[in-house]
Amino acid sequence: MAIRELKKEIYEVGALDWDRRLFDELIPLPDGTSYNSYLIKGSEKTALIDAVDFTKKNVLINNLKNLGIDRIDYVISHHAEQDHSGEIPEVIKQFPEAKVVTNSKCKEFLKDHLLIPEDRFITINDRDTLTLGDKTLEFIFAPWVHWPETILTYLREDRILFPCDLFGSHIASSELFVSNEGDVYKPAKRYYAEIMMPFRNHIQKHLERLSSYDIELIAPSHGQVYTRPEFIMDLYKEWVSDEVRNEVVLPYVSMHGSVQKMVDYFIEALMKRGVEVKPFNLSKTDIGELAMALVDTATLVVATPTVLTGPHPVAVYGTYLANALRPKVRVLSIIGSYGWGGRMVEQLSGMIGNLKVEVLEPVIAKGYPKEGDFKALDRLAEDILNKHKEFKII
Amino acid sequence: MAKYKCMVCGYVYNPEVGDEDAGIPAGTPFEELPPDWTCPLCGVDKDQFEKV
Repeated sequence: MAIRELKKEIYEVGALDWDRRLFDELIPLPDGTSYNSYLIKGSEKTALIDAVDFTKKNVLINNLKNLGIDRIDYVISHHAEQDHSGEIPEVIKQFPEAKVVTNSKCKEFLKDHLLIPEDRFITINDRDTLTLGDKTLEFIFAPWVHWPETILTYLREDRILFPCDLFGSHIASSELFVSNEGDVYKPAKRYYAEIMMPFRNHIQKHLERLSSYDIELIAPSHGQVYTRPEFIMDLYKEWVSDEVRNEVVLPYVSMHGSVQKMVDYFIEALMKRGVEVKPFNLSKTDIGELAMALVDTATLVVATPTVLTGPHPVAVYGTYLANALRPKVRVLSIIGSYGWGGRMVEQLSGMIGNLKVEVLEPVIAKGYPKEGDFKALDRLAEDILNKHKEFKII
Repeated sequence: MAKYKCMVCGYVYNPEVGDEDAGIPAGTPFEELPPDWTCPLCGVDKDQFEKV
């Protein structure tokens, strides 16, 4: 795979994964992904920042060989997750003098996951620096983006921030640098939603700290390099802020049409009131689309029929994910139907403990929705409108 | 001194042990943890903890 130059003596030597369509056997990757690894040649020492997924082992090693690298002094490990660390054992095997530079927490994870021996590590602390001769690396500890051990590196002389997964996006592109920011917006937001959103409060603090650095390029571990750092940093500021939008995200599933009828009616009821609505049929939708919609919505309404006395399992899955991703949603309700009984509302209500939400009275129809149910849906739409007015977002 | 449990992941903060990784010495009551202390297992804020 082609080696790509960021700046003089700084190269991207990782791997593009054009075909990957699922990450963690969970997250859809419509645009593939990349595992970026950066080689920095100083006047005295050479450092490699992160490695690649183990499925791309030959790519990284061949890139280093093609670049004529015969010595690596340091392998900086920002994050022990295997898509960045998977090939570290191979790199330190091929370059026996290389030491793995990381913090104590990441060291333990690398020992656990990749069986790297203790004597191959150099342990660093927050704000420590490492000189490569004419280039200086400064380490910035940034826990929880998105594991507890995460580190970022700032290359002082070249003003490059290597933020690992923070600011990343799952894109496979032959172009190293972002050339059209519009193309990156959605993959970056999707990445934030799926990976970073649960750690919103941590990111707020990290952004504050990063604001004191003079940054010319942001080179993340997935996707393209940002030549205008403020583009992605401003987006992150917006996403992690407490601001919500005049929107209702409406994940739903329907078996025989009752819930579908309620959902259709409810969508219109919201539209009439000037509330934006984003419905997602959970049996068809890409969960990344749902996660993205949750980034800034004020309200979440889950709609499901009753199956085997509880919510439809697909609705359970959607609700479980929404709870785990901890979006900043403020209001929640449930729409549903049942045939003869069940504990659908109690079960769903018991699944949202992570969300700091006010729960509005659910609308549950017995069988196909009737006049009283439609009135109740109008009432719920009106309650949501009033809440959004209270939040001053409409 | 009371123990506190994380409602998200179940981690229990034991004041007699503290949280060495975060620089919290043993003997620190939950109430005296810094406001930006977070759950060492899942990263959530102090307000997601309940007394056990």
